[in-house]
Amino acid sequence: MAYLTNLYDSSRCTACRGCQVACKNWNQLPAVIEPFRGNYQTHEDTNADTFTIVKMIETEDPVDGVIWNFLKYQCMHCFDPACLKVCPRDAYTKTSWGATVHDPDKCIGCQYCTYACPFEIPKYRKREDITTKCTLCADRVEEGLQPACAATCAPGALMFGNRNELLQYAEDRVKHLRANGFPRATIYGKMELGGLNKLYVLTDTPDKFGLPVDPKVPGQIPFWKDWVQPYIGWLIPLALAGSATSFVTTRILANKHGKHDEGGHE
Amino acid sequence: MKVTRRQFLKVTGATAASFAVINLGFDTQATAASIKELRIKNVTPVPTVCPYCASGCGLVVYAERQEGKETQLLSVQGDPDNPINEGCACPKGAAMFNLREIYDPHTGEQVINPKREKKPLYRAPYSTKWEEKDWEWMLQTIAERVKETRDNSFIHSENGMIVNRTEKIASIGGSGLDNEECYLLAKLMRSLGVVYLETQARI
Amino acid sequence: MSPAFGRGAMTNHMIDLKNTNVALIMGSNIAENHPIGMKWLTEGRLDPKRQTKIIHVDPRFTRTSAVSDLYCPMRSGTDIAFLGGMINYILENDLYHKEYVLNYTNISYIIKDEYGFEDGLFSGYDESKRTYDFGSWGYQYDADGKIMTDETLQHPRCVYQLLKKHFSRYDVDTVCRITGSPKNKYLQVLDIFCSTGEPNKTGTICYAMGITQHTVGSQNVKAFTIVQLLLGNMGRPGGGINALRGENNVQGATDMALLFHIIPGYISSPTNTEDNKDLISFIRKITPGAAKLPFNNLNEFREIVKQGIPYSGWKVHSSKWVVSLLKAWYGEAANASNDFAYHYLPKRDASKNYSHIALFEAMYRGEIEGLFVNGTNPVVGGPNANKEQEALTKLKWMVNIDLWRTETADFWTYPGWDRAVDNPNVNTYAPTNIGTEVFFLPAAAVYEKEGTAAQTGRWVQFRWKGADPVGESKADLWIYDELGKRLKQLYAGSNRPEDEPILNMTWEYEGHAGEEEPDILKVAHELCGFHIADGTPVEGFAQLKDDGSTACGNWIYCGGTTLKDGKFIYKPQLREKDDPSGLGLFPNWGWAWPVNRRVIYNRCSVQPDGVTPWPGDEDRRLVWWDAEAGGWTGWDVPDFIKSVGPDNPAFKDPFIMRPEGKACIFAADGSLIDGPLPEHYEPWESPVPPVLNKQSLNPVAKVWEPDKKGTSDKYPIIATTYRVCEHWQSGSLTRNLPWLAELMPDMLIELSEELAKEKGIKNGREVIISTTRGDIKAIACVTKRFKPFVLGDDIVHQIGLLWQFGFKGYAKGDIANRLTPHIGDANTMCPEYKAWLCDIRRA
Repeated sequence: MAYLTNLYDSSRCTACRGCQVACKNWNQLPAVIEPFRGNYQTHEDTNADTFTIVKMIETEDPVDGVIWNFLKYQCMHCFDPACLKVCPRDAYTKTSWGATVHDPDKCIGCQYCTYACPFEIPKYRKREDITTKCTLCADRVEEGLQPACAATCAPGALMFGNRNELLQYAEDRVKHLRANGFPRATIYGKMELGGLNKLYVLTDTPDKFGLPVDPKVPGQIPFWKDWVQPYIGWLIPLALAGSATSFVTTRILANKHGKHDEGGHE
Repeated sequence: MKVTRRQFLKVTGATAASFAVINLGFDTQATAASIKELRIKNVTPVPTVCPYCASGCGLVVYAERQEGKETQLLSVQGDPDNPINEGCACPKGAAMFNLREIYDPHTGEQVINPKREKKPLYRAPYSTKWEEKDWEWMLQTIAERVKETRDNSFIHSENGMIVNRTEKIASIGGSGLDNEECYLLAKLMRSLGVVYLETQARI
Repeated sequence: MSPAFGRGAMTNHMIDLKNTNVALIMGSNIAENHPIGMKWLTEGRLDPKRQTKIIHVDPRFTRTSAVSDLYCPMRSGTDIAFLGGMINYILENDLYHKEYVLNYTNISYIIKDEYGFEDGLFSGYDESKRTYDFGSWGYQYDADGKIMTDETLQHPRCVYQLLKKHFSRYDVDTVCRITGSPKNKYLQVLDIFCSTGEPNKTGTICYAMGITQHTVGSQNVKAFTIVQLLLGNMGRPGGGINALRGENNVQGATDMALLFHIIPGYISSPTNTEDNKDLISFIRKITPGAAKLPFNNLNEFREIVKQGIPYSGWKVHSSKWVVSLLKAWYGEAANASNDFAYHYLPKRDASKNYSHIALFEAMYRGEIEGLFVNGTNPVVGGPNANKEQEALTKLKWMVNIDLWRTETADFWTYPGWDRAVDNPNVNTYAPTNIGTEVFFLPAAAVYEKEGTAAQTGRWVQFRWKGADPVGESKADLWIYDELGKRLKQLYAGSNRPEDEPILNMTWEYEGHAGEEEPDILKVAHELCGFHIADGTPVEGFAQLKDDGSTACGNWIYCGGTTLKDGKFIYKPQLREKDDPSGLGLFPNWGWAWPVNRRVIYNRCSVQPDGVTPWPGDEDRRLVWWDAEAGGWTGWDVPDFIKSVGPDNPAFKDPFIMRPEGKACIFAADGSLIDGPLPEHYEPWESPVPPVLNKQSLNPVAKVWEPDKKGTSDKYPIIATTYRVCEHWQSGSLTRNLPWLAELMPDMLIELSEELAKEKGIKNGREVIISTTRGDIKAIACVTKRFKPFVLGDDIVHQIGLLWQFGFKGYAKGDIANRLTPHIGDANTMCPEYKAWLCDIRRA
């Protein structure tokens, strides 16, 4: 079966963040109010109650002047999801049309998925001791509706449909952009990690949008998988006993990102 | 579980219209039992228009409305039938649910927005607090204040001409009201003789 | 816009943006404040037939700039210089749409010999009163009373020649020295936008408060009208001047005349002067061309109207609108024997101004006792908010109707009136010394009640009720209905003549049995009008009468109701999605005033012959003359008198609301009190001396507080206020919403990296902003999107502040309007929020 995908066209996005709110509205997520740090973006990353954010990155070019790049950021619904592979409880499944969905009832909050994810997308929600992430609005899609983010997008920067058809749009659009002032315009998500079920049309190289140019599953994953699976029996009670593993992995993650600089634009 | 394409939710209200759906071209098939059931399935959406900027985007309200029970919202989202926005909504429009209800940040539970006022409130001169009052008392007292101020300040005639005005009562605002409300407000204020009558159009 | 076209409303509509070749976004941040506009502009962009180009002109680089094809910076308050240069460029390079301009505007009209302009002053200026006598700004008439014209445009007193001379001073270098725009960017703007003067192209202008909130706000708009008329862009799909309204029903509230200077239907409100003393005098006053005609009563007047009044336009019917309004309001108490109760209407003092600033100045002086605050928040949104908040302390009582306790409802609680800095200019109060009695009435939210709203393009749409009101909150309609009923009860039995308006006011809106809410359709019935004899709806304003046989609360809403198979239909409820033209008109979706016209002045979408589309523009014809049927027809409802055909001299007069029938490039006869043509003046507070003329400030702008003027030695930085996508107006309807508070949680000041460096300010840290009116704190957003302006040898900095924060809600912050001045546009009194002076420092 062909995959159904969201395509995000950065040349059309106005960063209104309607998608961010529509996501909260549909997925019944509370607000996470953090202080203003000097960038409209407010959240530096997604969190357990914020499945999608819009990154806003300022740069300056001697010829073009100020450039303000926007990027909708969320789960990439990888063809070959690392989260699914490492999950000790098989909480993750891949639908026939390409969404990577997570079952909160099975989740024990161990956060291996977070560590395994090349985009660090699954986030830990303390009040329920689970991880959460974008569902590609599977409940809507399976009833014939678009995901909430795509349905709400005013300038049509987000489109939802057949991945092959959207790829065709992306190829045409990139060609047009390259000929019209964006020589480095590119597609993202077509080949990365063997294919993402999220496509991007970018007006510049991925690094200008805060995306990893060559995303990789962390090297330890095979080790983790081999190590974890045999001991799954004792790991689970441990997790339930007090989220000890959460504590450990949270620490690991914190170390992994010991790079939070103060305010500022990225 | 085999899920087939749905015959879609009908917008009713005073009109008949269809709920826009994407044409997937084939049946979706759920492989994960964890996918929640669509919570607005078989719920009649009620069309409204966004209260923020004046673009006039349509939104639809999905709610559980049962006799004798407080309404609980299911979702408020763009109206796909409205030709102005075709289902789109900016962050303000997409946040319309919050005008009435919110998800508690600590428990995740759906509750009435605690900032909404539920009762008329009165603040006496020089008082340091608000007091809850009933509508009857409030409206009657306001009407009496209006009459008192009007009667004390009314200019019936000036230089032999009937001018019927009071300059001691003013009314501001109204751009957030419906047309019918604005109309009644204008009619009532003009008939009282109010000339300090302004709306946000000026500012 | 009214002085140019006859109406002030947005000319096209939101969806029409997809039909344009070039969109000039100026004084608007459409992507943030009218996001759906970007849907339609994007559609135009992707349409190979249109390939829409988007130009953004703004003091700062916003999310609109980020997606525009061209961004050109411009210093706040220099719009007329910018547009004057464009007018000059069009005339110098002969880029105007000749056929259009000659036929549809007053460009060939001859102006009086006494008219003149010198040193920044038009003829007739009285310095002591700061007003103009506009006697010299009129047309020359021939012996038959006809306006003299010269179609060759050679006559030295014709509008074309005067225009050319006036704007010849606005050369590109002078303009850029004033506006601070980079010359190469400015030239690109001129080149791209002026290309729409070609007959096969249309260009649209979208503006908002960035244009109107200046001491020259009306003239800024006037400059747009000149550009768009010269380029032939009015009345055509993808053209027009689109005033993007900021509040969901600000158009409707204006239509219903919640403004001191009008009564419903854009009729001047009566004053206490001799020429308003009775109904017939009032009709003489408001009917163009009637001033000197011989009539003493309505019968005589009707005879004259039947014969036609030259240069009157559609407003020749004003008497019908006024009498029908009085019948709607006062029913049987309004009849032919008592001037239809015209004396009931309040007559304002002609020598006084009652607009927002004046209202708060009067309140501050203790002249106002009681105030109704209907879903507005002046403590955050009003200019000079410290003063406006203090004014509220002088009230005896205040009624506040809102969803939540706003900063205005809670003005008396603001603890100690703390300031960021001790400022001797600002008084402080405690609740125990504030005597204002406050009544707070909780209102239902938009989807907890029903009613209609007129969106920015005049489309009136119905909103159904989707949920019950929270707690005991009530729809405003119920509140006003109850107040009306109670006041009628309180006055019952009075036989004082001054109480008659209340006693005789029609007020029968009872809902169906068992329902507490008034019946909204009863209000709609009265608003849109009915025949008194049988109560059937008046189907259009042509049916209104001035003999008391029709009642109509607002003539422009006539036709909003009808009977279909005996059933009452309120057309804003229509939801049919047909769009046969493909131009996005959707004639059966809701209803648009007037009479469902979607694009006003649409007669201009065809050539003067009434049939032929503009060359190369076949698919953008809206209406046309159907010779066979002997009437106007088309995709849209013709904005024209249906039967006026080629044999009628008015056939080429598309602007039916103007007495001339033509659009006015030159605003004759003082329709704008500060000049017949726009002229650049500096804002009240400006860091630079005037370049083009000897006047700094608009010579007619009223100065309320001369002592509060900040000068550039102490306050060298230009400041402007604005909104962001995530908050709306004063923020009361968004800062109380957690999802929006999350997106924009704190009050911020945006400044350039250069200024931040100069002042030692770090991104994300607190800054103090000072003016003569007060001081506030805000968090710095140091950004590449702000740049200093180079003005000749001077470099000036500009900062930006959100005016959407206050001390209530989930997102809180200092109130920017504590800094803004009490000064407004000479014509509208719209406050100058957009350009004033301040200084900043690290907190």
